[in-house]
Amino acid sequence: MSTQHTPTTQTTETARATPPPDDTARPLLGSVLMLVRSELRLVLREPLVLAFVFAFPIVTVLVIAGSFDADDEAFGGVDPSQWYVASYLAVVIAAIGLVMVPVHLAAYRERGVLRRFAAAGFPRWSFALAQLVMGVLITLVASAVLLAVAAPVYGLPPVTTPLTVVVAVVAGALAFTAIGLLIGSLVPNARAAQGLGMLAFFPSFLLGGGGPPPAAMSETMRTLSDLMPLTHVTDAIREPWLGTGTGLALLAVVVAVRVVALAVCARSVRL
Amino acid sequence: MTGPALVRVRGLTKRYGDRTAVDGVDLDVHAGEIVGLLGANGAGKTTTVECIQGLRRPDSGSLEVLGLDPSLDGDRVRRMVGSQQQDSALPDRMRVGEAIALFRGRRSVPVEGLLEAFGLAAARNTSFAALSGGQRQRLFLVLALLNRPRLVILDELTQGLDPAARRDVWEAISVLRDAGTTVLLVTHYMDEAEALCDRVLVMRSGQVLDSGTPGELVLRHADRSSIRFAALDEELIAGLRLLPGVDSVGALDGTVEVRGDRASVAYVCAELTRGPVPTDLRIDMPDLEAAMVSLLSRPTDIDTVIATDGVVPTLTGGAR
Repeated sequence: MSTQHTPTTQTTETARATPPPDDTARPLLGSVLMLVRSELRLVLREPLVLAFVFAFPIVTVLVIAGSFDADDEAFGGVDPSQWYVASYLAVVIAAIGLVMVPVHLAAYRERGVLRRFAAAGFPRWSFALAQLVMGVLITLVASAVLLAVAAPVYGLPPVTTPLTVVVAVVAGALAFTAIGLLIGSLVPNARAAQGLGMLAFFPSFLLGGGGPPPAAMSETMRTLSDLMPLTHVTDAIREPWLGTGTGLALLAVVVAVRVVALAVCARSVRL
Repeated sequence: MTGPALVRVRGLTKRYGDRTAVDGVDLDVHAGEIVGLLGANGAGKTTTVECIQGLRRPDSGSLEVLGLDPSLDGDRVRRMVGSQQQDSALPDRMRVGEAIALFRGRRSVPVEGLLEAFGLAAARNTSFAALSGGQRQRLFLVLALLNRPRLVILDELTQGLDPAARRDVWEAISVLRDAGTTVLLVTHYMDEAEALCDRVLVMRSGQVLDSGTPGELVLRHADRSSIRFAALDEELIAGLRLLPGVDSVGALDGTVEVRGDRASVAYVCAELTRGPVPTDLRIDMPDLEAAMVSLLSRPTDIDTVIATDGVVPTLTGGAR
């Protein structure tokens, strides 16, 4: 077998003085890419992910985008179906950040998978970085599927400033993946992550873009909606898409808060 | 015959809050050795090996692993050490082949041969959740050996396995022994240590109580044997009393019991062949487990004596 050692005393002292050349290094980038590849496969086999990230936004957008009259004033002159199609990428982002990532990370911590990565010499941060990359990739894939299903039913609204929309989608996905990592590193186990994730997801979903338009909300709910980070992600995607504004200013605040959150959680938990 | 020291630990101490998990441990592992770290749960074994891998930072003491300080060069140490960690699993939906692809480094051994050697060649496309307990542990062994490690650390490799699966994993570790792999094996199963280890260290409350080959420990801490058989004539019994190493010969309800040291068994059995050999002969030889029980059940104040002057006191039963 190839793990054989030759116990020659001669090498003892030299081995101690100068460790063997480091030809086993795992570079950070390579490690992240390997983890992303492996994790993507695993996550896409997970029923919870398929249900929440892929099926749920599609089913709900098909229902709600057809629930309002085309001239409903709450949408500020925009066709409600277009309004919702442009809003629902944020629902995908919320499902990834509030349900998928926390459950995934908590399950890994609970089962000692992260310790195994650490013991195998994966660099610190490589797992967190891989999750961020994965959050963006899955957002893009699930968004494409969502739009592909919605297109024949409601048609796709023309994108006014595509670059701004892409920036908003990527920034929103990064921000929510970061919050997912924070939740996942604080809860004791995967079940708690699932409970807490759902608890965070549904109000965000209903008040943050997936539910009624803000103009149709009561004063209190509108105030709450403004406090939801997801609202700002939704606005930042929908406004440049439909040409009704940019919405990036508040998204910048959301992203900044999340980056700080991620740094805090990475310091307190071995990621 | 052992090679150079791959692991050299001196005075390792690690505290969690106000609890001292590891308290001044010295430990050497030489190339080609299989060293066992024994002790009850909570004795500090896992913390010790986690410090060796640089997964925990010791509070004091010096560590040298493969010529490196694991607190400073943790990533590098971990890449050269193959390890199986206690209570550490793989994702349920990860398949055997995928796990290998993920953990495989640049200079890994040929995977086919490794899977073949550990009986997993047919399980490449099986998900982790669908593997049996024994297969999972063998997969962990494969992962631990994948990148030509210079040292393999196995923490409670056979915990929770049924006896057949444990034998299976032992068989796999014997393969490592034959290949000259250096192994640090953490276990609380005495039979496991006795079957696999060249040398063992016994830990309690974060300290090393004693170390040596399994045979040495048995001699030091569980030296007594007993032989029982149906009564014979008085003359023979009187003769048994005079044999070397025999402490006592008692007779109760027609059964004779001879107590003495381990060597006395040979003399007693030889003596018994002079007459009709008893058919119900029963010999109790203490094993490593008995030595451990005796070692670990000693009161703590005696431990302090050992720790300070290295003298192993005579055991007095029921000192607790």
